Amino acid sequence: MGALMAIIYGGLALMPIFVGGTDHLMHILIMILIWGVVASCWDLIMGFAGIFSFGQVAFFVIGAYASAIVANKFGIPPIFAIFVAGGITAAIGVLVGLPCLRLKGAYVALVTFAVHMILEPFLKGPMGRAIGTGGSRGILTIQPIEIFGFAFTPDHKVAVFYLTLVLAILCSIIILMVIRSFWGTAFLALKDSEDFSASLGVSAFKYKLAVFALTSFLTGMVGGFYGHYVGMLSTRMLGIDLFVTLMIMLVIGGIGHFPGAILGAIVTVTLNEMLSPLGSYRPLILGGLVVVLVLFLPDGVIGLVRRFFNGKSKIQEADA
Amino acid sequence: MLQAINLTKKFGELVAVDDLSFTVEKGQIFGIAGPNGAGKSTVYNLITGFFPFEGKLLFNGEDISGKKPHRIAQMGIARTFQVPHTFPSLTVEQALSVGSRFGDNTGFDPEYVDHLLDFLDFQEERYNLTGNLDLIGKKKLMIGAALATRPKLLMLDEPMAGSNAHEIQDLMEFIRRINDEMGVTIIIIEHFMKVLTELTETLLIIESGSKIASGDPDIVTSNKHVVECYLGDAYASDN
Ligand SMILES: Nc1ncnc2c1ncn2[C@@H]1O[C@H](COP(=O)(O)OP(=O)(O)OP(=O)(O)O)[C@@H](O)[C@H]1O
Ligand SMILES: [Mg+2]
Repeated sequence: MGALMAIIYGGLALMPIFVGGTDHLMHILIMILIWGVVASCWDLIMGFAGIFSFGQVAFFVIGAYASAIVANKFGIPPIFAIFVAGGITAAIGVLVGLPCLRLKGAYVALVTFAVHMILEPFLKGPMGRAIGTGGSRGILTIQPIEIFGFAFTPDHKVAVFYLTLVLAILCSIIILMVIRSFWGTAFLALKDSEDFSASLGVSAFKYKLAVFALTSFLTGMVGGFYGHYVGMLSTRMLGIDLFVTLMIMLVIGGIGHFPGAILGAIVTVTLNEMLSPLGSYRPLILGGLVVVLVLFLPDGVIGLVRRFFNGKSKIQEADA
Repeated sequence: MLQAINLTKKFGELVAVDDLSFTVEKGQIFGIAGPNGAGKSTVYNLITGFFPFEGKLLFNGEDISGKKPHRIAQMGIARTFQVPHTFPSLTVEQALSVGSRFGDNTGFDPEYVDHLLDFLDFQEERYNLTGNLDLIGKKKLMIGAALATRPKLLMLDEPMAGSNAHEIQDLMEFIRRINDEMGVTIIIIEHFMKVLTELTETLLIIESGSKIASGDPDIVTSNKHVVECYLGDAYASDN
């Protein structure tokens, strides 16, 4: 796990050498890093903990707005604001998680997706405007992150890229450590059998809320980071496109196969760009791709990578 | 050790456990038998906090009614399930570690887990995923994970079901060792009368959620009422 992660991030770290001069490509790389973290968080809660949370995009947007508002309204430097935003998103994540504790599978998906659905009217409506979301116009000016007087604006893509890389690596290390610790074991145990886990002393309440808190914290923080990078926000991200794209990343990467989600982000964002000349046919092709992948590559790209390195037997063992 | 006082559990109209009282003494092997649907497994689910109920449960004098399953596990009551439960994502060692880490209030003890792997004769399967174990393996795994919590009371739900005569002998020997060597008090639900009379010191027979007899297994099994309503069923069924 760790070695593969190091290879992936190591490879990405070298990319500016080749494409550092092309702003458009640097932007794509930055977005790969950001979506890689968001998809990894989704994988942690869904693939490992087995909680069908569909609120990942909502948490990202909540974090983005929270950070922008906190920075704009209270003058908190963006570099701190993103952590505040993470905290706010984690609190909301726990609130959403509470009713989900009593629910199973598909119902959790419904409750968490409801948050996604409510978010757009909330941000556009009078309540949202009151807290500074800018209503349907959105937030048009968000200060960039500044460290030691250097502003990480979209004009300095290479600098932004490396800052994003640091953040993405930090988030991924946290996720990796959690997966490897007894927390990760508790998540898997609860996913496999909640009754058996409970009979051995595992508190579903504690560990399920913890995974909601952690994944929404990281997602919200990265959302905040994104807002300060692009400099403006609207509710457009809450459209179905981003949601589906994230899901494709997860499927391509292999659900429950961290760091597959990061690979999934690389492949999906790249494909998305390559397919962009196809215009409105793009979603069709991506959709078809998901079906094909689910049918023929249930472990995602990472399954393929592992099979390549370990030989076939291990994969089959893990599947049974 | 465990005192059940007027336990009643209703599922809608159905009274699964009906005003049932019994006491399990420390160090005992205590048997529970009764026809299919008598409410045996439901009694376990009440003791381990899976359902709310009427009545009272005292564990070493402390009222455990209304406590959550994971709390009850941490207090020292471990159990297995009638339908084998495993953790398909975890290895045998990891599954035992779950019990030790979360259920043992003296803390995670890898040496004890290793000792249990020996005790269960599981060293070879140590790194196998638990979902790949055969039926006996799955049952051993449930017992091992339960033991990893260092329980004071272990409750087994039909551990012999689906086993052949030889395996039953092994399992009986194994249960005795848990009782003797580890000093764990045991409650066992079983359909095989022979197992119950050989293994247990006290036997409780229930039917439709109520007690119909209890006491010394030899005396209980010669009780006319028991023979009538239970034994016919027991020999006919092997689940
Ligand atoms: N969760 C539940 N919801 C509704 N009814 C239940 C539930 N659990 C058990 N019952 C019912 O309660 C009664 C007792 O079931 P229980 O599983 O305790 O029987 P048992 O004595 O363990 O039987 P067996 O020997 O078949 O295992 C049955 O009629 C069963 O259908
Ligand atoms: Mg039963």
